[in-house]
Order: sequence, then structure tokens, then C-alpha cells
Amino acid sequence: MKNRFSLFSFALKNIRRKAVRSTMLASAIMLLTASIVFAVSFITRVHSGISLMTSRLGADIMVVPTGSRGAAEEVLLENKVKSFYMDGSVLDRVRNIEGVEEVTAQTYLVTLSALCCSVPESIVVAFDQKSDFIVRPWLTEKLGRPLKKGEAIVGHESAFNITVGLVEIDSMLFGNVFRMVGVLDKTGTGLDNAIFISDENITDILRSGTAGIKPGQVSIAFVKVRKGYDPKLVANAVENNILEADAVMRKDIGKRIIQTLRDVSGIFTAAVVLAALLSGFLAWTVFSAVANERAREVGIMRAIGARESDVVRLFLWEVFLIGIAGSVLGIIGGTALSVMLARSFILLKDLAGDLGIAVRALIAVAGLIGGVAVCVIGALSPLRRIKKLEPLGAMKEA
Amino acid sequence: MALLVLDNIAKVYEAVGETIRAVGGVSLAVEKGEFISIVGHSGSGKTTLLSIIGGLCRPTSGSILYNDSDIGALDSDGLAKYRAERIGFMFQFASLLPVLTAKENLMLPLLFQGARDRSAKGDGEQKAEELLRRVGLADKINAYPAQLSGGQQRRVAIARAFMNDPEIILADEPTGDLDEQTEEDMMRFFQAMNREQGVTFIMVTHNRDLASRASRQFSMTHGAHEELARA
Ligand SMILES: Nc1ncnc2c1ncn2[C@@H]1O[C@H](COP(=O)(O)OP(=O)(O)O)[C@@H](O)[C@H]1O
Ligand SMILES: [Mg+2]
Repeated sequence: MKNRFSLFSFALKNIRRKAVRSTMLASAIMLLTASIVFAVSFITRVHSGISLMTSRLGADIMVVPTGSRGAAEEVLLENKVKSFYMDGSVLDRVRNIEGVEEVTAQTYLVTLSALCCSVPESIVVAFDQKSDFIVRPWLTEKLGRPLKKGEAIVGHESAFNITVGLVEIDSMLFGNVFRMVGVLDKTGTGLDNAIFISDENITDILRSGTAGIKPGQVSIAFVKVRKGYDPKLVANAVENNILEADAVMRKDIGKRIIQTLRDVSGIFTAAVVLAALLSGFLAWTVFSAVANERAREVGIMRAIGARESDVVRLFLWEVFLIGIAGSVLGIIGGTALSVMLARSFILLKDLAGDLGIAVRALIAVAGLIGGVAVCVIGALSPLRRIKKLEPLGAMKEA
Repeated sequence: MALLVLDNIAKVYEAVGETIRAVGGVSLAVEKGEFISIVGHSGSGKTTLLSIIGGLCRPTSGSILYNDSDIGALDSDGLAKYRAERIGFMFQFASLLPVLTAKENLMLPLLFQGARDRSAKGDGEQKAEELLRRVGLADKINAYPAQLSGGQQRRVAIARAFMNDPEIILADEPTGDLDEQTEEDMMRFFQAMNREQGVTFIMVTHNRDLASRASRQFSMTHGAHEELARA
């Protein structure tokens, strides 16, 4: 069957007649939509990654050595390899603060030197199995029992670093041989890159002198707050009573990243606004030219019976078709970009969780609306001019 | 009762530094089925008069009654509807839309009518083909204007004027650039439509012979009309 003749097919033919110009406008809209989709995907992903990870940590407050807050977040969120220590006596002082229900400590050891360890540079988390409430939920899923002395379980990502699927194989850590007894599921935290051992091993590790810590030191204390107590007040009490420690509330974890993100967002916003202005201006230019070039044609259409609204609908089709074509390409481009860059962007690479289909679809719809709206808004004033073109133009010479 | 009654129609253009009286006080009653011809020098106001009758512009003074209703009282949409349903235009100058084929150019008026009234007349594909056959362009149905000669384009535009089954054809030098034979064919086509379907014609022409075949003949000079002959 042949295509039926309609306002739609008429509009399509009009678009094709100035193919280069139409393509340019569609490309601008594509750029705009791609930047909207990319920016929103990026920001959403960072936010959801952080909230996913803080909920997985399961602590209300994190107590770290004064000044090590950033380093702690880098370890927990971005799986950077960092070490920081405070004296273990901090734990008891935290326990004594009103409103504190549970406290558990983790000590982060860095496998810096190839001399001490047979694994690539990573963090070894020594944790207290008696008081632990952070790792246990992950551990019971996998191992179903506590770790014994001389055993290690590896995070989901570091399993790849060590050797894919390599468990039940002995590795050298800080001059001690450890048996790798399992791999944890992905938790979405920076600790996916860590290797976990019981803190009973610390004495032996200290003896080897390769871990760079002093006896009794810990890195982080995770705190659960008693029901009915405000975490903020408890955190304040920790800071006031323990000078050598900083307290970070769960909702503030990742604030540093979000602050960095704010600068990034600013750049994104500027790019989107710029692209919108450019596209809007281009739409205005293109349809202003159209209004001039096709004034007589509009006059003829009006003379043979088209109402102003018919003319407007015809040209709106043109605007929409270009806007939709550009937006759809932009959505594809922006999504592809965000998926690809996710692998190379430090901020994203180390954050857990990808965006779900539903979220991506929502962002796509936002991109489509944004792209088409800018195209329409830009074309609005020329459209108004086209609408008011006189039918008498038909009687005049071209 | 007359189909069309012009009462003292005048059109004055305000150009820079001067006022041009394009049409000055035309009064005329046109009966259904009449074939009116208008001759006159260039600039005498013929096109302006047709524009006013077709509702393309409003007269400076005077009134037009169509079937007893005042065209001057219609708003923009009302005039569009009037043109869409009652009027068939043949413009003095090239008037095909370049991106549309001959057939699509013919279907365009119905597209706008269809937008107004879904029950209206289908898309008119067959009717368009039939009309193109009648003006001798059966083999050019799917040709684009650029692929047609000036005379062929002119005939497509002539065919288009009949697409909406108009009551009045307003023809502004419709055969100006046709060869003698084709001009004669077109005139016969007009007369057939006039006789068979009762279509009323108001035709501007420079061809005295064609003009003399009308049922009423007018001439225009400086915006004023004068009846030359009546059959
Ligand atoms: N839009 C306009 N503005 C000013 N003057 C016009 C306009 N249209 C027509 N005229 C003038 O009105 C007169 C009649 O024009 P027109 O009706 O086109 O004459 P014809 O069709 O008989 O050649 C001419 O003097 C022409 O210059
Ligand atoms: Mg003229």
C-alpha cells in the first residue's frame, strides 16, 4: 500500500526538502537531550549508589580518627586503599556514651608491599567477630559460620584481583599464610575490594612487622544507636568527648562525594542550559527562515481553505518530528555514554549499583520532553508569524 | 435570488505617500450558473476584485452577500470555511506546492476540509486522478511540479480548483501561459463544468475571444467596471 497523504506525510516532505538544515537542528536537539540524559543518569547513579551503600553498612554512626573522615569514605565508597588508625581505647569511651547500643571496630591493613603479601594492593579488614554487625550479614549468606584464625574471605571484586574463582587456596598476607575460604556477594560498598580476616590474627601480623600498625590500634568504630536516641546528638557527644575521633552520621556518609558532585552538577547544568539555548536559537532561526521562504505557500494553503490552525498543525508536525528525531537519538547517545563512561569515571566506577530499566526509562522520557519542548519553544515565535500569514499572498507573484 | 451580490465594493491601498484606489465602487449581482468574464489592463483592479469576492482580503467599504449572508461578518476561520466549501481558485501565478506531487496538490484542499470535518469526502484520491485525466495529465499524476512544464503546472492548478466541488470558480488569467490548443481545451472544460454541474465562473482573461464566450462580459478600468455584453 502506498503512504496515505496526510498532514504528517506533508510535514515529512517539507522537512526533507531542506535536509541539511533539518539535520542540523535535529543534531542540536540530540546534543541537548544527550546531555540531559547523561547528566541526570550520572547524578542519579551517584546518589543511589551512596544510599545503597550506606544502607548496606547498617551502622548509624561511623567513628574515625580525627581528620580521617575523607579517607574512611574513600575506603568505604570508592574502594581506595588507605589506612588510618586510632587507639583502641576509643571503643570503650564510645560505648560509654549515652544512646550507644552497639559498637564494633574494624582495622584496615594495606597490603602495600609485594614482600609481605602475595595479593595485589588491597585492603585487609580485620574485624572483631564477637561484636561485629557489619560483615556478619554478608558472611552468613556465604559461609554460614564465623571465620577461623588463618582463614580469609574475599570481597566480590577482590576475588577478581586475586585470581578469578580462586578460593581454598593459600595466600600470604603480612607474612602469614591465609586460607581463602570463600567469596562474598556484591555489597555495593568499597569493601567489595577488601579481604576479610578475624582480628584474632592481628597479633601474628604485628609480629611479622609488615603491616605498619601499632598494637591496639583500630581504624573505624561502627555504632548502632539505641532506639529513641537521635543519632545527631549521639554523634555530637562522641565528637565532644573524644577529641581524637570524628563521628559521621549515616546520612552524612558520602557528603564529600555529593559536594564534589555539586560542582560536577554545576558544570552539567551549564552544559545543558547552553545546549538548550543553542538548540532553541537554532529552532528559532530555522523556522524564521521557513516563515520567510514559505510565506506564499502558506498563503496558497490558506486561500484553498486551510484555517490558521491547520497551518499551525502542519508546521507543528515539522517541529515535533525534528524534535522527536533529535531527542530519540540523544536518548540513545546519552544512555550509551553514561553506560560507557560509568566504567571509566572514577566516581562511578567504584560506586555500586547500576540504574534500573525503569529509572533509565524515566530519564529517557524526561530527555524526550526536554528536547521536544526546547524545539517547540524556540519555534514558537516564528510559528506565530506563520499562523498570521495572509491568504492574499496567494494572489501575488512569487 | 442572486448567488453573489456585491454592493459598492471599494478597496483602497495606502502605499507610501499615496493612496491607490484599486477597486472603486463595484456593484454587481451574480446568478448561479453564470459565466462571467472580465477583461482590463494590468493594474485595473481585476485581481483585487477576485480576492475580495474570494474572502482573501476585506474591502475598504461596501458589502458582499453570498447566498444572502454577509461575508464581511465572517472571522478568519469562517472565511477559511467559505473558501474551502464554496470557492475554487485559479491563481494568476504559479501556485503548486513544490514538495507535493500533482495528485497530492489536488488532494490538499480536501486534507484541510477533512481536518475540519472527518466525514468529508474521503481523501479524494480517485477524484484527483479523474480531474487530472480531464485536464490531459493522466500520465503526470505522480509527477512533482519541478518535473512539469509551466503549462502542465497551470493545468494541475486548474484541476485543483475543482477538487472541493466549488459553487464559484474565481479564475485569474487561468490560461495565460497555455498554447492555443490547450487554452481551447481548458475553455471547453470550463464550459462543460459550467453547463453540466452549474458551476459559476468569474474569469479574468486577456483573450478577447475567450471573454466573448462568457454569458456576461465586463471590462475594468482604474478600478471601475463596465458591462460590455450579456448573452
Ligand atoms: N497589496 C497592495 N498594496 C498596494 N497596492 C496594491 C496592492 N495590491 C494591488 N495594488 C495596486 O492595486 C492596483 C490593482 O491591482 P490588481 O488588482 O493586481 O490589478 P490587475 O489584477 O488588474 O492587474 C494596482 O495599482 C496595484 O499596484
Ligand atoms: Mg492581476
